[in-house]
Amino acid sequence: MQFNSTVRSLVRSAWGAALAGLLSVLWCWYFRDTWLFWFGNLGVGASLLRLGICLRKERAPAVRHHDHHQEAIAAAPVEAANEIGSLVDQMLSDGRYALLLRPQIAGDLTDELYQSALQMLEDEMAIVPTGEVGVAVNDWDDPDSMHSRSEPEASEVVIRVDSLYIDRYPVTNEQFQSFVDAGGYEQSSIWHPDILPAVLDFVDRTGLPGPRFWQNGRYPPGMARHPVVGISWYEALAYARWVGKRLPTDAEWVKAGSWPVSLGNSGRRQRRYPWGQTMDRERANLWASGIGSTVSIDEFAAGVSVGGVYQLIGNVWEWTTGDYQTGAANAADQDAEPLKNIRGGAFDTYFENQANCEFSSGEHPLGRKHNIGFRCALGLCDLALQRQPDVGSAVDSQSVELSSESEVSEIEEVVA
Amino acid sequence: MSKSLLPMESFKLAEYAQQIPCYICSMDNSYDAEMCHWCQAPMALAHQANSQKLRPKMLAAIGASGVGKTVYLGMLLDMLSRQPQRMQILARGAFSITLQQTAIAALARREFPNKTPNEPDHWNWMHCQVTMPTRKHSAELIIPDMSGEAVLEEVDHPNTYRAIPAFLRHCSGILLLIDAVQLMEGSREQDYFSMKLLSYLSELDDDPKRGWKHRPVALIFTKADQVERCFDDPAAYAKQHAAGLWQHCRKRFRNHQFFASGVAGACSTRFVRGRGQITSPLRIEPRGIIEPFEWLVGQMNS
Repeated sequence: MQFNSTVRSLVRSAWGAALAGLLSVLWCWYFRDTWLFWFGNLGVGASLLRLGICLRKERAPAVRHHDHHQEAIAAAPVEAANEIGSLVDQMLSDGRYALLLRPQIAGDLTDELYQSALQMLEDEMAIVPTGEVGVAVNDWDDPDSMHSRSEPEASEVVIRVDSLYIDRYPVTNEQFQSFVDAGGYEQSSIWHPDILPAVLDFVDRTGLPGPRFWQNGRYPPGMARHPVVGISWYEALAYARWVGKRLPTDAEWVKAGSWPVSLGNSGRRQRRYPWGQTMDRERANLWASGIGSTVSIDEFAAGVSVGGVYQLIGNVWEWTTGDYQTGAANAADQDAEPLKNIRGGAFDTYFENQANCEFSSGEHPLGRKHNIGFRCALGLCDLALQRQPDVGSAVDSQSVELSSESEVSEIEEVVA
Repeated sequence: MSKSLLPMESFKLAEYAQQIPCYICSMDNSYDAEMCHWCQAPMALAHQANSQKLRPKMLAAIGASGVGKTVYLGMLLDMLSRQPQRMQILARGAFSITLQQTAIAALARREFPNKTPNEPDHWNWMHCQVTMPTRKHSAELIIPDMSGEAVLEEVDHPNTYRAIPAFLRHCSGILLLIDAVQLMEGSREQDYFSMKLLSYLSELDDDPKRGWKHRPVALIFTKADQVERCFDDPAAYAKQHAAGLWQHCRKRFRNHQFFASGVAGACSTRFVRGRGQITSPLRIEPRGIIEPFEWLVGQMNS
């Protein structure tokens, strides 16, 4: 369309110029000795001038378009880099640094962004070395035996745990707010497929998506640094996936707290509490502490584990991935859905022997209790903790230009 | 042949000559009687009251069998004896600690305590001193762990267990326990049983000035840890799930309040041969235990 109108305009201008020139020649021949001759020449010049103006008008948009294209090509790497930067900044502020440290992403980050993510990992998570750990299991005896007990007798199984990172603190209201604000409850990809119909029921006091004790999609005032509670096992799992992590297994949780040390043939020595072998009410928020509610994750710092993990004991129970052994004899005795393990005890745990590294209790995975929270974990094998030397700062602007768009889409894909 | 002299313990004769009235039913008993021959209540209550010149008030915890009276009372006593910030309970006499000991020992093993026997001489009674930081004087209380079955039997067949009407007639306040889980499941048994008990109390003492109409009644939904919304608004829960009880309280008891409580954070049920279905507490997290008692003692004192 644009081309046709341009051609028509040019043809019209050429015909006009030719006609004006012809009239001017005739005019000059008839009035060849008078001043009107010069008037006719002016007519020819005007016609040619009109043709030139017309041509220039038609050419101008094309030139301008070409200029814009050149500018766009020049600015593309900068914009893409800014886009990546802001996306990464957003992810870091949301605590989703683990996603950035995935091997498929980390190689594409600039050195600065990679170091920021790495620093955040070290600040927020503690490393738990590989090794064996004894985990107490509820050993319900044979229900057909005449000597059946109504309480379980704890026995120990030894499990080998690979190196992992575990959150230093339980997930806070503030952190979970990012998940809620980002529409975490609407992202079906991060939810367990079996639970999708129930996600609509995960609402706060006002009916908005969020933990049970929140209001209007916000955590209670002054509770930003308190552990998030009122969340089911599935909500905890969805959050963990959203930040690129997972829930710890029972063995991982116990290993982070009891910090076992192998004694060769003599066996293994592991702590009953993160700080030692005996209970100390000053180190954990339990019923006996007399507080009666959750406290900020910064408190009870004296209860830190050897590896630097806080509040493993007390404040809130923590979801793990394991199923709780109820000792039910057959399927009819079992709950419709197996209970999930919770560990560590909470602010209202009455008996101190129910708040240590060995004890586990059970809760329905859909239960949204006032005293159950969680922390996340991440295997070392899932992280790119070292990068190739030529990657990062050595990346030149040309390579940024070439990879930027695919990089953004790749990050967004992982994020989604 | 030697002659032995038997000392004449005239003071014992004097003691036997003086009859000791039972603190619960006021019937005379001999000095060394362990239980009241009439109502089977322990005579230690009377001896303590006499020796310390006290007139303890009486408080009852009643409810259907299996509603959790022993667990509630045991946990209440243990909590208030361990953490004295709000209220403090000090047991008077060794027998007063048995209830607390039995209940807590079972819960620590992740078991619920055994069912309380029907016979009053097998009940655990407690005489305690209650002090509150906000009050100058302490209160003396007698609280028995009454069998739910025995109470129901007495309501249906009066004078089966004499201790029950004798005690309830003199009670200054009552803790009426109702199973929140059964109500949630649609069973009306708890509703009917509670109404029966309240009607019985009304008939027991219908004095227009000092009768049960004016005495404080704390209605406690137990096992509320399994019915979380019960904690949000116990009165609304009563209106929704125990409408008969709710109406009855409004009309017959001017001084009543609904509460929710829970001791176990979660429970699991399993089959054990010879014992049938066993429900075990998976962890102990007392909630709403002190509040009803605190309210009741406050009302009794006022």
